[in-house]
Amino acid sequence: MLAVSPLRSTRDEGQGEMMESFSIGTDDFADLSEGNLLESINFDDLFMGINDDEDVLPDLEMDPEMLAEFSLSTEESDMASSSVSVENNNKSADNNNNNDGNNIVTTEKQDEVIVIAANSSSDSGSSRGEEIVSKSDESVVMNPSRKESEKGRKSSNHAARNNNPQGKRKVKVDWTPELHRRFVQAVEQLGVDKAVPSRILEIMGIDCLTRHNIASHLQKYRSHRKHLLAREAEAARWSQRKQLLAAAGVGRGGGSKREVNPWLTPTMGFPPMTSMHHFRPLHVWGHQTMDQSFMHMWPKHPPYLPSPPVWPPQTAPSPPAPDPLYWHQHQRAPNAPTRGTPCFPQPLTTTRFGSQTVPGIPPRHAMYQILDPGIGIPASQTPPRPLVDFHPSKESIDAAISDVLSKPWLPLPLGLKAPALDGVMGELQRQGIPKIPPSYA
Amino acid sequence: MEDSSSSAAYIRLVHRLIEECILFNMSKEECMEALSKHANIKPVITSTVWKELEKENKEFFEAYTRSRAERASERETRQRIQSVVSDSSKERI
Repeated sequence: MLAVSPLRSTRDEGQGEMMESFSIGTDDFADLSEGNLLESINFDDLFMGINDDEDVLPDLEMDPEMLAEFSLSTEESDMASSSVSVENNNKSADNNNNNDGNNIVTTEKQDEVIVIAANSSSDSGSSRGEEIVSKSDESVVMNPSRKESEKGRKSSNHAARNNNPQGKRKVKVDWTPELHRRFVQAVEQLGVDKAVPSRILEIMGIDCLTRHNIASHLQKYRSHRKHLLAREAEAARWSQRKQLLAAAGVGRGGGSKREVNPWLTPTMGFPPMTSMHHFRPLHVWGHQTMDQSFMHMWPKHPPYLPSPPVWPPQTAPSPPAPDPLYWHQHQRAPNAPTRGTPCFPQPLTTTRFGSQTVPGIPPRHAMYQILDPGIGIPASQTPPRPLVDFHPSKESIDAAISDVLSKPWLPLPLGLKAPALDGVMGELQRQGIPKIPPSYA
Repeated sequence: MEDSSSSAAYIRLVHRLIEECILFNMSKEECMEALSKHANIKPVITSTVWKELEKENKEFFEAYTRSRAERASERETRQRIQSVVSDSSKERI
Protein backbone atom coordinates (compact mmCIF):
# COMPACT_ATOMS: atom_id res chain seq x y z
CA MET A 1 0.00 0.00 0.00
CA LEU A 2 1.38 3.17 -1.02
CA ALA A 3 0.69 6.15 0.92
CA VAL A 4 2.06 9.48 0.43
CA SER A 5 1.27 12.54 2.27
CA PRO A 6 1.93 15.86 0.79
CA LEU A 7 3.17 18.24 3.27
CA ARG A 8 2.74 21.56 1.96
CA SER A 9 0.65 23.85 3.97
CA THR A 10 0.78 27.44 3.30
CA ARG A 11 -2.08 28.56 5.34
CA ASP A 12 -1.73 28.66 9.00
CA GLU A 13 -5.31 28.33 9.83
CA GLY A 14 -5.89 24.87 8.91
CA GLN A 15 -2.42 23.82 9.51
CA GLY A 16 -2.80 22.39 12.88
CA GLU A 17 -5.76 20.45 11.85
CA MET A 18 -4.27 19.33 8.70
CA MET A 19 -1.41 17.81 10.37
CA GLU A 20 -3.64 15.41 12.04
CA SER A 21 -4.64 13.86 8.86
CA PHE A 22 -1.16 13.13 7.87
CA SER A 23 -0.97 10.33 10.22
CA ILE A 24 -2.95 8.29 7.83
CA GLY A 25 -1.05 5.44 6.50
CA THR A 26 2.05 6.32 8.28
CA ASP A 27 2.91 2.77 8.45
CA ASP A 28 3.56 2.92 4.81
CA PHE A 29 5.96 5.68 5.10
CA ALA A 30 8.57 3.67 6.68
CA ASP A 31 10.70 3.56 3.70
CA LEU A 32 9.88 6.88 2.38
CA SER A 33 11.47 10.01 3.39
CA GLU A 34 9.83 13.23 2.80
CA GLY A 35 12.17 14.47 0.25
CA ASN A 36 11.97 11.71 -2.21
CA LEU A 37 8.50 10.50 -1.88
CA LEU A 38 7.82 10.61 -5.48
CA GLU A 39 10.96 8.95 -6.40
CA SER A 40 10.13 6.22 -4.06
CA ILE A 41 6.89 5.64 -5.66
CA ASN A 42 7.08 2.95 -8.10
CA PHE A 43 4.52 3.91 -10.56
CA ASP A 44 4.66 0.66 -12.26
CA ASP A 45 3.51 -1.01 -9.21
CA LEU A 46 0.61 1.27 -9.07
CA PHE A 47 -0.49 0.49 -12.47
CA MET A 48 -0.41 -3.13 -11.93
CA GLY A 49 -3.61 -4.69 -11.18
CA ILE A 50 -5.48 -2.03 -12.92
CA ASN A 51 -8.03 -3.36 -15.10
CA ASP A 52 -7.81 -1.48 -18.25
CA ASP A 53 -11.18 -2.44 -19.26
CA GLU A 54 -12.89 -0.84 -16.47
CA ASP A 55 -13.03 2.72 -15.78
CA VAL A 56 -13.14 2.33 -12.19
CA LEU A 57 -9.97 1.10 -10.76
CA PRO A 58 -10.72 -1.99 -8.87
CA ASP A 59 -9.16 -1.36 -5.62
CA LEU A 60 -10.94 1.66 -4.55
CA GLU A 61 -13.97 0.91 -2.67
CA MET A 62 -16.07 3.80 -2.05
CA ASP A 63 -19.44 4.06 -0.68
CA PRO A 64 -21.92 4.85 -3.31
CA GLU A 65 -22.98 7.87 -1.48
CA MET A 66 -19.53 9.19 -1.33
CA LEU A 67 -19.35 8.68 -4.99
CA ALA A 68 -22.51 10.57 -5.48
CA GLU A 69 -21.33 13.32 -3.32
CA PHE A 70 -18.17 13.71 -5.13
CA SER A 71 -19.69 13.60 -8.48
CA LEU A 72 -19.73 17.31 -8.12
CA SER A 73 -16.13 17.49 -7.78
CA THR A 74 -14.95 14.74 -9.91
CA GLU A 75 -14.91 15.17 -13.53
CA GLU A 76 -15.64 11.67 -14.27
CA SER A 77 -17.09 8.98 -12.28
CA ASP A 78 -14.01 6.99 -12.41
CA MET A 79 -12.30 7.16 -9.21
CA ALA A 80 -8.80 6.24 -8.97
CA SER A 81 -8.48 3.49 -6.60
CA SER A 82 -4.89 3.45 -6.09
CA SER A 83 -3.82 6.92 -6.22
CA VAL A 84 -0.74 8.71 -5.80
CA SER A 85 -0.66 11.80 -3.90
CA VAL A 86 1.07 14.44 -5.66
CA GLU A 87 2.78 16.81 -3.54
CA ASN A 88 3.56 19.71 -5.65
CA ASN A 89 1.79 21.50 -8.32
CA ASN A 90 4.70 20.94 -10.53
CA LYS A 91 4.37 17.29 -10.30
CA SER A 92 0.72 17.16 -10.59
CA ALA A 93 0.91 19.48 -13.50
CA ASP A 94 -2.43 19.70 -14.92
CA ASN A 95 -3.80 16.54 -14.19
CA ASN A 96 -3.42 13.36 -13.44
CA ASN A 97 -5.74 11.97 -15.84
CA ASN A 98 -3.31 12.36 -18.53
CA ASN A 99 -1.77 9.10 -17.88
CA ASP A 100 -3.41 5.98 -18.80
CA GLY A 101 -5.18 4.39 -16.04
CA ASN A 102 -3.58 6.82 -13.88
CA ASN A 103 -4.33 7.39 -10.43
CA ILE A 104 -2.69 10.59 -9.83
CA VAL A 105 -4.58 13.11 -8.07
CA THR A 106 -4.12 16.66 -8.75
CA THR A 107 -3.54 18.93 -5.98
CA GLU A 108 -4.90 22.27 -5.85
CA LYS A 109 -2.34 24.93 -6.11
CA GLN A 110 -1.62 25.84 -2.66
CA ASP A 111 -4.87 25.42 -1.09
CA GLU A 112 -5.05 21.82 -0.77
CA VAL A 113 -3.09 19.06 0.36
CA ILE A 114 -3.78 15.69 -0.76
CA VAL A 115 -3.42 12.85 1.40
CA ILE A 116 -3.74 9.81 -0.50
CA ALA A 117 -3.62 6.42 0.64
CA ALA A 118 -3.37 4.44 -2.43
CA ASN A 119 -4.28 0.97 -1.93
CA SER A 120 -3.74 -1.78 -4.18
CA SER A 121 -5.19 -4.10 -1.75
CA SER A 122 -8.78 -4.63 -1.72
CA ASP A 123 -9.47 -4.26 1.84
CA SER A 124 -12.31 -2.01 2.07
CA GLY A 125 -11.72 -0.94 5.52
CA SER A 126 -8.83 1.19 4.76
CA SER A 127 -9.37 1.78 1.17
CA ARG A 128 -10.44 5.21 1.52
CA GLY A 129 -8.72 6.13 -1.60
CA GLU A 130 -7.49 9.57 -1.52
CA GLU A 131 -8.31 12.21 0.77
CA ILE A 132 -7.76 15.72 0.14
CA VAL A 133 -7.35 17.98 2.94
CA SER A 134 -8.46 21.32 2.01
CA LYS A 135 -6.80 23.86 4.08
CA SER A 136 -9.45 26.33 3.92
CA ASP A 137 -12.08 23.91 4.81
CA GLU A 138 -10.17 21.84 7.21
CA SER A 139 -11.85 19.06 5.55
CA VAL A 140 -11.05 15.83 4.10
CA VAL A 141 -12.29 15.46 0.64
CA MET A 142 -12.00 12.65 -1.71
CA ASN A 143 -11.07 13.90 -5.02
CA PRO A 144 -9.21 11.50 -7.07
CA SER A 145 -9.61 12.75 -10.54
CA ARG A 146 -10.07 16.32 -9.95
CA LYS A 147 -8.57 18.75 -12.26
CA GLU A 148 -6.95 21.80 -11.07
CA SER A 149 -10.07 23.74 -10.66
CA GLU A 150 -11.08 24.18 -7.17
CA LYS A 151 -13.71 21.71 -6.37
CA GLY A 152 -12.69 20.85 -2.95
CA ARG A 153 -15.01 23.30 -1.43
CA LYS A 154 -18.01 22.05 -3.23
CA SER A 155 -17.32 18.51 -2.48
CA SER A 156 -16.43 19.27 1.03
CA ASN A 157 -19.88 20.47 1.58
CA HIS A 158 -21.06 17.05 0.92
CA ALA A 159 -18.27 15.35 2.61
CA ALA A 160 -19.44 12.41 4.44
CA ARG A 161 -19.71 12.97 8.02
CA ASN A 162 -20.52 9.43 8.62
CA ASN A 163 -18.00 7.76 6.40
CA ASN A 164 -15.19 7.78 8.75
CA PRO A 165 -13.75 4.36 9.11
CA GLN A 166 -10.50 5.65 10.37
CA GLY A 167 -10.60 7.72 13.43
CA LYS A 168 -7.66 9.75 12.40
CA ARG A 169 -9.37 11.33 9.47
CA LYS A 170 -10.95 14.63 10.05
CA VAL A 171 -14.54 14.69 9.15
CA LYS A 172 -15.87 17.76 7.53
CA VAL A 173 -18.65 19.29 9.44
CA ASP A 174 -21.42 20.65 7.40
CA TRP A 175 -22.52 23.78 9.13
CA THR A 176 -26.10 23.95 8.12
CA PRO A 177 -28.05 27.01 9.10
CA GLU A 178 -29.85 24.95 11.70
CA LEU A 179 -26.62 23.69 13.13
CA HIS A 180 -25.18 27.12 13.10
CA ARG A 181 -28.24 28.48 14.80
CA ARG A 182 -27.79 26.03 17.62
CA PHE A 183 -24.18 26.95 17.77
CA VAL A 184 -24.98 30.62 18.05
CA GLN A 185 -27.57 29.90 20.68
CA ALA A 186 -25.06 28.02 22.71
CA VAL A 187 -22.48 30.71 22.28
CA GLU A 188 -24.87 33.45 23.25
CA GLN A 189 -25.88 31.54 26.26
CA LEU A 190 -22.31 31.36 27.40
CA GLY A 191 -21.27 34.72 26.15
CA VAL A 192 -19.21 35.01 23.03
CA ASP A 193 -15.99 35.80 24.73
CA LYS A 194 -16.46 33.25 27.40
CA ALA A 195 -17.69 30.52 25.17
CA VAL A 196 -15.52 27.53 25.46
CA PRO A 197 -15.72 24.86 22.79
CA SER A 198 -16.18 22.07 25.25
CA ARG A 199 -19.06 23.81 26.88
CA ILE A 200 -20.57 24.72 23.57
CA LEU A 201 -20.36 21.11 22.61
CA GLU A 202 -22.16 20.15 25.77
CA ILE A 203 -24.88 22.62 25.20
CA MET A 204 -25.35 21.70 21.60
CA GLY A 205 -25.29 18.06 22.43
CA ILE A 206 -24.55 16.84 18.97
CA ASP A 207 -22.58 13.68 18.69
CA CYS A 208 -20.99 14.20 15.39
CA LEU A 209 -19.27 17.37 16.42
CA THR A 210 -15.85 17.29 17.85
CA ARG A 211 -14.43 19.92 20.05
CA HIS A 212 -12.12 20.75 17.24
CA ASN A 213 -14.92 21.45 14.83
CA ILE A 214 -16.49 23.74 17.31
CA ALA A 215 -13.27 25.48 18.10
CA SER A 216 -12.55 26.35 14.55
CA HIS A 217 -16.09 27.40 13.89
CA LEU A 218 -15.99 29.58 16.93
CA GLN A 219 -12.83 31.19 15.77
CA LYS A 220 -14.35 32.03 12.45
CA TYR A 221 -17.48 33.28 14.08
CA ARG A 222 -15.63 35.59 16.38
CA SER A 223 -13.44 37.08 13.76
CA HIS A 224 -16.40 37.61 11.54
CA ARG A 225 -18.34 39.44 14.18
CA LYS A 226 -15.44 41.55 15.14
CA HIS A 227 -14.91 42.53 11.60
CA LEU A 228 -18.52 43.46 11.13
CA LEU A 229 -18.73 45.45 14.26
CA ALA A 230 -15.61 47.38 13.57
CA ARG A 231 -16.97 48.29 10.22
CA GLU A 232 -20.32 49.14 11.62
CA ALA A 233 -18.82 51.27 14.27
CA GLU A 234 -17.03 53.21 11.66
CA ALA A 235 -20.09 53.38 9.54
CA ALA A 236 -22.15 54.51 12.46
CA ARG A 237 -19.69 57.23 13.14
CA TRP A 238 -19.83 58.48 9.65
CA SER A 239 -23.52 58.42 9.36
CA GLN A 240 -23.85 60.14 12.65
CA ARG A 241 -21.60 62.83 11.44
CA LYS A 242 -23.66 63.20 8.39
CA GLN A 243 -26.79 63.29 10.34
CA LEU A 244 -25.39 65.83 12.66
CA LEU A 245 -24.43 68.14 9.92
CA ALA A 246 -27.57 67.67 7.97
CA ALA A 247 -29.81 68.16 10.88
CA ALA A 248 -27.72 70.83 12.37
CA GLY A 249 -27.66 72.55 9.08
CA VAL A 250 -31.36 72.64 8.96
CA GLY A 251 -31.66 73.35 12.61
CA ARG A 252 -29.49 76.32 12.42
CA GLY A 253 -30.98 77.38 9.19
CA GLY A 254 -33.44 79.54 10.95
CA GLY A 255 -30.88 81.09 13.16
CA SER A 256 -27.89 81.80 11.10
CA LYS A 257 -28.66 81.29 7.57
CA ARG A 258 -25.32 81.86 6.20
CA GLU A 259 -23.40 79.88 8.70
CA VAL A 260 -24.99 76.67 7.85
CA ASN A 261 -23.87 76.28 4.34
CA PRO A 262 -20.16 76.11 4.91
CA TRP A 263 -20.77 73.28 7.24
CA LEU A 264 -22.75 71.42 4.76
CA THR A 265 -20.93 71.43 1.53
CA PRO A 266 -17.62 70.03 2.54
CA THR A 267 -19.25 67.16 4.18
CA MET A 268 -21.77 66.02 1.74
CA GLY A 269 -19.45 64.03 -0.35
CA PHE A 270 -19.29 61.36 2.14
CA PRO A 271 -16.69 58.70 1.85
CA PRO A 272 -18.62 56.41 4.10
CA MET A 273 -20.90 55.61 1.31
CA THR A 274 -18.20 53.63 -0.27
CA SER A 275 -17.78 51.67 2.83
CA MET A 276 -21.24 50.41 2.38
CA HIS A 277 -20.04 48.29 -0.41
CA HIS A 278 -17.75 46.51 1.88
CA PHE A 279 -20.56 45.18 3.85
CA ARG A 280 -20.60 41.72 2.69
CA PRO A 281 -22.06 39.43 5.22
CA LEU A 282 -20.73 35.98 5.19
CA HIS A 283 -23.77 34.07 4.39
CA VAL A 284 -22.64 31.08 6.26
CA TRP A 285 -23.41 32.82 9.47
CA GLY A 286 -26.99 33.26 8.67
CA HIS A 287 -27.27 36.52 10.47
CA GLN A 288 -29.33 39.02 8.75
CA THR A 289 -28.28 41.72 10.97
CA MET A 290 -25.31 43.26 9.38
CA ASP A 291 -24.68 46.54 7.86
CA GLN A 292 -28.02 47.98 8.41
CA SER A 293 -26.75 50.86 10.36
CA PHE A 294 -26.38 53.08 7.40
CA MET A 295 -29.79 53.06 6.13
CA HIS A 296 -31.16 53.29 9.52
CA MET A 297 -29.55 56.58 9.90
CA TRP A 298 -31.36 57.89 6.99
CA PRO A 299 -34.82 57.80 8.34
CA LYS A 300 -33.76 60.36 10.81
CA HIS A 301 -33.48 62.98 8.21
CA PRO A 302 -37.06 63.51 7.34
CA PRO A 303 -38.07 64.66 10.75
CA TYR A 304 -35.45 67.28 10.60
CA LEU A 305 -35.88 68.58 7.20
CA PRO A 306 -38.57 71.03 6.60
CA SER A 307 -40.36 70.59 3.36
CA PRO A 308 -37.98 71.99 0.90
CA PRO A 309 -39.48 72.49 -2.50
CA VAL A 310 -36.72 70.43 -3.94
CA TRP A 311 -38.09 67.24 -2.59
CA PRO A 312 -40.48 65.25 -4.60
CA PRO A 313 -43.94 64.85 -3.13
CA GLN A 314 -42.96 65.13 0.40
CA THR A 315 -44.34 62.97 3.07
CA ALA A 316 -41.86 63.98 5.65
CA PRO A 317 -44.38 65.63 7.87
CA SER A 318 -45.35 62.24 9.09
CA PRO A 319 -42.13 60.91 10.38
CA PRO A 320 -43.54 57.93 12.15
CA ALA A 321 -44.85 56.52 8.95
CA PRO A 322 -41.72 56.45 6.87
CA ASP A 323 -39.47 55.46 9.67
CA PRO A 324 -40.77 52.04 10.42
CA LEU A 325 -41.13 51.41 6.77
CA TYR A 326 -37.49 51.98 6.24
CA TRP A 327 -36.59 49.70 8.98
CA HIS A 328 -38.61 47.04 7.44
CA GLN A 329 -37.37 47.63 4.05
CA HIS A 330 -33.79 47.08 4.68
CA GLN A 331 -33.76 44.24 6.99
CA ARG A 332 -32.52 41.79 4.49
CA ALA A 333 -30.51 43.88 2.21
CA PRO A 334 -26.96 43.04 2.88
CA ASN A 335 -25.39 44.10 -0.30
CA ALA A 336 -27.80 46.42 -1.83
CA PRO A 337 -26.16 49.49 -3.09
CA THR A 338 -29.41 51.28 -3.15
CA ARG A 339 -30.14 51.14 0.43
CA GLY A 340 -31.85 53.71 2.50
CA THR A 341 -32.48 57.03 1.08
CA PRO A 342 -33.93 59.78 3.08
CA CYS A 343 -36.28 60.96 0.48
CA PHE A 344 -39.72 59.59 0.66
CA PRO A 345 -41.52 60.31 -2.49
CA GLN A 346 -44.40 58.27 -1.36
CA PRO A 347 -45.22 56.06 1.51
CA LEU A 348 -43.66 52.70 1.07
CA THR A 349 -45.34 49.46 1.47
CA THR A 350 -43.84 47.51 4.21
CA THR A 351 -41.67 44.95 2.61
CA ARG A 352 -39.70 43.29 5.19
CA PHE A 353 -37.68 40.94 3.23
CA GLY A 354 -35.33 41.92 0.60
CA SER A 355 -36.98 44.54 -1.42
CA GLN A 356 -34.14 46.81 -1.71
CA THR A 357 -35.18 49.00 -4.50
CA VAL A 358 -38.50 50.46 -3.84
CA PRO A 359 -39.97 52.05 -6.86
CA GLY A 360 -40.00 55.73 -6.70
CA ILE A 361 -37.09 56.05 -4.39
CA PRO A 362 -34.19 57.70 -6.01
CA PRO A 363 -30.94 55.88 -5.67
CA ARG A 364 -28.52 56.79 -3.04
CA HIS A 365 -26.40 59.13 -5.04
CA ALA A 366 -29.38 60.92 -6.31
CA MET A 367 -30.34 61.37 -2.76
CA TYR A 368 -27.13 63.06 -2.09
CA GLN A 369 -27.61 65.51 -4.82
CA ILE A 370 -31.01 66.34 -3.61
CA LEU A 371 -30.00 66.46 -0.05
CA ASP A 372 -27.48 69.13 -0.48
CA PRO A 373 -29.59 71.77 -2.12
CA GLY A 374 -32.43 70.60 -0.02
CA ILE A 375 -30.65 71.55 3.06
CA GLY A 376 -29.27 74.64 1.54
CA ILE A 377 -32.65 75.92 0.70
CA PRO A 378 -34.09 76.15 4.12
CA ALA A 379 -30.98 77.92 5.07
CA SER A 380 -31.93 80.75 2.88
CA GLN A 381 -35.50 80.85 3.90
CA THR A 382 -36.91 80.74 7.32
CA PRO A 383 -37.97 77.21 7.90
CA PRO A 384 -41.53 76.94 8.97
CA ARG A 385 -40.99 74.60 11.84
CA PRO A 386 -38.78 75.15 14.79
CA LEU A 387 -36.13 72.57 14.40
CA VAL A 388 -34.78 70.61 17.19
CA ASP A 389 -31.32 69.50 17.57
CA PHE A 390 -30.65 66.31 15.80
CA HIS A 391 -32.20 64.47 18.64
CA PRO A 392 -34.99 62.43 17.33
CA SER A 393 -38.50 63.49 17.80
CA LYS A 394 -40.61 61.78 20.34
CA GLU A 395 -42.92 60.42 17.73
CA SER A 396 -40.21 58.75 15.78
CA ILE A 397 -38.76 57.17 18.85
CA ASP A 398 -42.13 55.98 19.89
CA ALA A 399 -42.77 54.61 16.47
CA ALA A 400 -39.50 52.78 16.40
CA ILE A 401 -40.00 51.30 19.80
CA SER A 402 -43.53 50.19 19.22
CA ASP A 403 -42.34 48.70 16.01
CA VAL A 404 -39.81 46.60 17.80
CA LEU A 405 -42.33 45.53 20.34
CA SER A 406 -44.87 44.49 17.84
CA LYS A 407 -42.52 42.71 15.53
CA PRO A 408 -40.06 40.74 17.57
CA TRP A 409 -39.04 38.64 14.65
CA LEU A 410 -37.22 41.45 12.95
CA PRO A 411 -33.49 41.06 12.96
CA LEU A 412 -31.31 43.38 14.89
CA PRO A 413 -30.61 46.60 13.11
CA LEU A 414 -27.06 46.82 14.27
CA GLY A 415 -26.32 43.23 14.94
CA LEU A 416 -24.38 43.86 18.07
CA LYS A 417 -23.21 40.84 19.91
CA ALA A 418 -25.84 39.82 22.31
CA PRO A 419 -24.98 40.03 25.97
CA ALA A 420 -24.36 36.88 27.85
CA LEU A 421 -27.60 35.70 29.29
CA ASP A 422 -26.10 34.60 32.50
CA GLY A 423 -24.31 37.85 32.94
CA VAL A 424 -27.43 39.90 32.51
CA MET A 425 -29.56 37.74 34.73
CA GLY A 426 -26.94 37.70 37.39
CA GLU A 427 -26.60 41.42 37.30
CA LEU A 428 -30.30 41.94 37.44
CA GLN A 429 -30.67 39.66 40.37
CA ARG A 430 -28.07 41.65 42.12
CA GLN A 431 -30.09 44.72 41.41
CA GLY A 432 -33.07 43.10 42.94
CA ILE A 433 -34.96 41.94 39.93
CA PRO A 434 -35.49 38.26 40.31
CA LYS A 435 -36.91 37.51 36.96
CA ILE A 436 -37.92 39.14 33.79
CA PRO A 437 -40.12 40.19 32.30
CA PRO A 438 -41.19 41.75 35.50
CA SER A 439 -44.77 41.49 36.37
CA TYR A 440 -44.91 45.13 37.11
CA ALA A 441 -43.58 47.92 35.04
CA MET B 1 -42.93 29.36 28.31
CA GLU B 2 -40.45 28.59 30.94
CA ASP B 3 -38.64 31.27 32.74
CA SER B 4 -35.28 30.99 31.12
CA SER B 5 -36.50 31.27 27.59
CA SER B 6 -38.84 34.10 28.34
CA SER B 7 -36.05 35.86 30.13
CA ALA B 8 -33.86 35.30 27.16
CA ALA B 9 -36.55 36.60 24.87
CA TYR B 10 -37.02 39.64 27.04
CA ILE B 11 -33.37 40.40 27.07
CA ARG B 12 -33.28 40.02 23.34
CA LEU B 13 -36.11 42.47 23.11
CA VAL B 14 -34.35 45.00 25.25
CA HIS B 15 -31.23 44.43 23.22
CA ARG B 16 -33.09 45.21 20.06
CA LEU B 17 -34.66 48.29 21.53
CA ILE B 18 -31.31 49.52 22.64
CA GLU B 19 -29.95 49.06 19.17
CA GLU B 20 -32.78 51.15 17.83
CA CYS B 21 -31.97 53.85 20.33
CA ILE B 22 -28.39 53.76 19.26
CA LEU B 23 -29.57 54.41 15.77
CA PHE B 24 -31.11 57.50 17.19
CA ASN B 25 -27.79 58.41 18.70
CA MET B 26 -29.10 58.30 22.17
CA SER B 27 -27.04 58.04 25.24
CA LYS B 28 -27.57 55.28 27.73
CA GLU B 29 -29.59 57.55 29.95
CA GLU B 30 -31.73 58.76 27.12
CA CYS B 31 -32.29 55.20 26.12
CA MET B 32 -33.29 54.21 29.60
CA GLU B 33 -35.79 56.99 29.67
CA ALA B 34 -37.19 56.30 26.24
CA LEU B 35 -37.60 52.60 26.85
CA SER B 36 -39.19 53.20 30.17
CA LYS B 37 -41.58 55.70 28.75
CA HIS B 38 -42.48 53.99 25.53
CA ALA B 39 -42.01 50.36 26.27
CA ASN B 40 -42.44 50.14 29.99
CA ILE B 41 -39.05 48.70 30.52
CA LYS B 42 -37.49 49.38 33.83
CA PRO B 43 -34.51 51.63 33.50
CA VAL B 44 -32.39 49.29 35.56
CA ILE B 45 -33.02 46.53 33.08
CA THR B 46 -32.18 48.77 30.18
CA SER B 47 -29.05 49.92 31.86
CA THR B 48 -27.96 46.41 32.69
CA VAL B 49 -28.47 45.16 29.18
CA TRP B 50 -26.74 48.23 27.84
CA LYS B 51 -23.73 47.63 30.02
CA GLU B 52 -23.55 44.00 29.02
CA LEU B 53 -23.81 44.96 25.39
CA GLU B 54 -21.01 47.37 25.93
CA LYS B 55 -18.88 44.62 27.36
CA GLU B 56 -19.54 42.37 24.42
CA ASN B 57 -19.09 45.07 21.84
CA LYS B 58 -16.37 47.23 23.24
CA GLU B 59 -15.09 48.53 19.94
CA PHE B 60 -18.48 49.53 18.76
CA PHE B 61 -19.37 51.39 21.88
CA GLU B 62 -16.07 53.11 22.00
CA ALA B 63 -16.60 54.41 18.51
CA TYR B 64 -20.15 55.32 19.35
CA THR B 65 -19.18 57.28 22.42
CA ARG B 66 -16.46 59.05 20.55
CA SER B 67 -18.74 60.08 17.76
CA ARG B 68 -21.32 61.33 20.17
CA ALA B 69 -18.72 63.37 21.92
CA GLU B 70 -17.53 64.77 18.64
CA ARG B 71 -21.01 65.68 17.72
CA ALA B 72 -21.54 67.39 20.99
CA SER B 73 -18.40 69.41 20.66
CA GLU B 74 -19.18 70.32 17.09
CA ARG B 75 -22.57 71.47 18.14
CA GLU B 76 -21.06 73.53 20.85
CA THR B 77 -18.56 75.09 18.53
CA ARG B 78 -21.25 76.01 16.11
CA GLN B 79 -23.26 77.56 18.84
CA ARG B 80 -20.33 79.59 19.89
CA ILE B 81 -19.73 80.79 16.41
CA GLN B 82 -23.34 81.65 16.09
CA SER B 83 -23.35 83.70 19.18
CA VAL B 84 -20.22 85.49 18.13
CA VAL B 85 -21.71 86.33 14.81
CA SER B 86 -24.93 87.52 16.25
CA ASP B 87 -23.06 89.56 18.79
CA SER B 88 -20.94 91.18 16.21
CA SER B 89 -23.94 91.90 14.06
CA LYS B 90 -25.60 93.54 16.97
CA GLU B 91 -22.63 95.72 17.53
CA ARG B 92 -22.74 96.91 14.04
CA ILE B 93 -26.15 98.26 14.61
